[in-house]
Amino acid sequence: MHISFLIHNAYGIGGTIRTTYNLANTLAEQHDVEVVSVYRHRAEPVFQVDPRVRVRHLVDIRKGTPGYEGDSPEYRRPAHAFPRAEGRFHQYNALTDRRIADHLATAEADVLVGTRPGLNVHIARQARRGPLRVGQEHLTLDSHSTALRTQLRGVYPRLDALTTTTEADAAAYRSKMRLPGVRVDAMANPVPAPGVAPADGTGKWVVAAGRLAPVKRYDLLIRAFDQVRAQRPDWRLRIYGGGKQKDRLRALIDELGLYNHVFLMGPAHPIDPEWAKGSIAAVTSSLESFGMTIVEAMRCGLPVVATDCPHGPGEIIDNGVDGRLVPVGDVRAIAGGLLELINDDDKRGRMSAAALVDSQRFDPARIAERYESLFTDLTARGPAGPLGRFRGSLHRTRGAMLGGAYAVRDAGRTALRKGRTA
Amino acid sequence: MTALLPPPLPDEVHDRVPVEPRADCVADSAGGLTFDLADLGRPGAAYLLLRLRERQPHGAGHTETRLPLTPAADGRLRAVLPSSVQLAEGRWDVYADHGDAAPRRLAPGVNDLRSLVDRMPSGTRPHIAVRIPYATKHGNLTVRAWHRAPHAEAGELLIDGAGLTVRGRLLGAPLTPAGYAELRARTPEGDSPGQAARRVELGGSGGEFGLTVGYAELADAPGIWDLWLLPQGAQGPQARVARLLDDVADKKPIFTYPAVRTGPVAVGPYYTRDNDLSLRVTEAG
Repeated sequence: MHISFLIHNAYGIGGTIRTTYNLANTLAEQHDVEVVSVYRHRAEPVFQVDPRVRVRHLVDIRKGTPGYEGDSPEYRRPAHAFPRAEGRFHQYNALTDRRIADHLATAEADVLVGTRPGLNVHIARQARRGPLRVGQEHLTLDSHSTALRTQLRGVYPRLDALTTTTEADAAAYRSKMRLPGVRVDAMANPVPAPGVAPADGTGKWVVAAGRLAPVKRYDLLIRAFDQVRAQRPDWRLRIYGGGKQKDRLRALIDELGLYNHVFLMGPAHPIDPEWAKGSIAAVTSSLESFGMTIVEAMRCGLPVVATDCPHGPGEIIDNGVDGRLVPVGDVRAIAGGLLELINDDDKRGRMSAAALVDSQRFDPARIAERYESLFTDLTARGPAGPLGRFRGSLHRTRGAMLGGAYAVRDAGRTALRKGRTA
Repeated sequence: MTALLPPPLPDEVHDRVPVEPRADCVADSAGGLTFDLADLGRPGAAYLLLRLRERQPHGAGHTETRLPLTPAADGRLRAVLPSSVQLAEGRWDVYADHGDAAPRRLAPGVNDLRSLVDRMPSGTRPHIAVRIPYATKHGNLTVRAWHRAPHAEAGELLIDGAGLTVRGRLLGAPLTPAGYAELRARTPEGDSPGQAARRVELGGSGGEFGLTVGYAELADAPGIWDLWLLPQGAQGPQARVARLLDDVADKKPIFTYPAVRTGPVAVGPYYTRDNDLSLRVTEAG
């Protein structure tokens, strides 16, 4: 199979980019794989790319290089094909519209995979007849604005498949988006085995990692650790990551007098060696679209104490077996979960061993297999030959019409609501 | 809507791009480092070159160390920097030298430094050697080295309204009844001599030490004060109080402590760029 990924920027650093390469590198062992990047802002990708994966760009924004296209007049005109309600709309323009459309009209691939809503829309609308159209949603449906949902509802029925990172989110798309004929599957993010030996569980450290953003609720973790210290002053906490909450969290640490116990470590790349220094991982988010850090920590042999927030943690952690789920927003419960593992070396050891085994299901080889069978099933559903192709296009047409009808109704609703509030 | 859109700003325009090749580095608890890198298949002898970044103008002494790169089991090249090879204090930039061209600066791969976390040297040696590999802000691999004899390792810092209590370990020189600690005013080089050192009582036993700096005593003395131990009194060896025995190359942004308002000044401890412990006394506005 020839599989072609379409991504915003394959040359940057970020969860979607890393996930895409993890998947592409593994699929390339059996298939012909390319990663098409809308933008290129630097010479080479940061992440390791298998030599069999071809990476190319559509628009070059490397300043000071001969290929630089940021001065083009088209680059300054707003996008029309890229959906206006998408978070990155302001980064798209008439030039990206044209380049993406040209690419999709001529792509030789058997499978086209979009990696964000706006690019899924491009694929749904503009891909030539033939290739499977697969949209990936790395964020969750409820994180999309009403306007974006309305736009997607009108277009997504033209996809063959939509993937989400959790079962919970797949269920949300199935029930709220009305996608007739579109297969909606949960596909967890692949997480490779770490480049270091697993943690040996002797270090008296709790480790957390992620952006220092309000949604991660590190304030709760720090307050919980105040309770941990009261009972186990020999244990300490490291929080890796950078972000806007840093000063606020720093002030909280000082206010609680936790400066000998809680450390804001800053960003770390790669993160695996940092997990391996700890014995327990903590995630206290109010929301996780997947929960990548939970899997990363487990692959390093750390049991994770995590809040049972939407959407990921409950699907990753087997509560009481390879980690501990605690109620969202509950400082006492978070402290209780940590102390449960801190105070019981045997239990911690058992959970650590279970975490290593259970997290193998996120290995890129396993996730790639699931994608392969998805692509194979879809190909079988609408095989080459006049009848099959006819059926395929019929489902698309019907879906588009239904989706369109819903979109019209939604637009009417929005207008009505606006009318009332005005 | 204006017709002109702001140009797209990919989120990561400012990230650092590491240059190849990369070296993975594993630390052992004795202070030794093992470097592994891809075998580029060049003929001839290959070396891992450590080059001391010059800070001092006199620049005397040994400023390069060359370690043979030998084939390892997995088709990679390996160099070992044992703790017995002495490295002067400072930042040592790491290169691969194949002898056929200019040495190539190495980028960090995976640094496995778990054995450095909460390091507890035996204390049987008269000195401590610390080497922590880290990624520079330009994405290169550098080894931060310290060599101290004796060494005063700071542990927990306890801050209350009245002052700072430091507890730690003394390595390489036993504490005698004559021992005391000292705060030394830092003066820019070439300046007229600053304020006299302030003596601080030093306690402890069995390799542990403890001292308390009363902030009120510094209320009249804005500036930077460096903390030293003289464990055997004025005639004996001196140890700068520092925090070196872990995996964190740069303590300053991570180990931070609140300042306390004391009369007309605010006083607080901090770690210097060299991970030494100092007090900053600033006039409160």
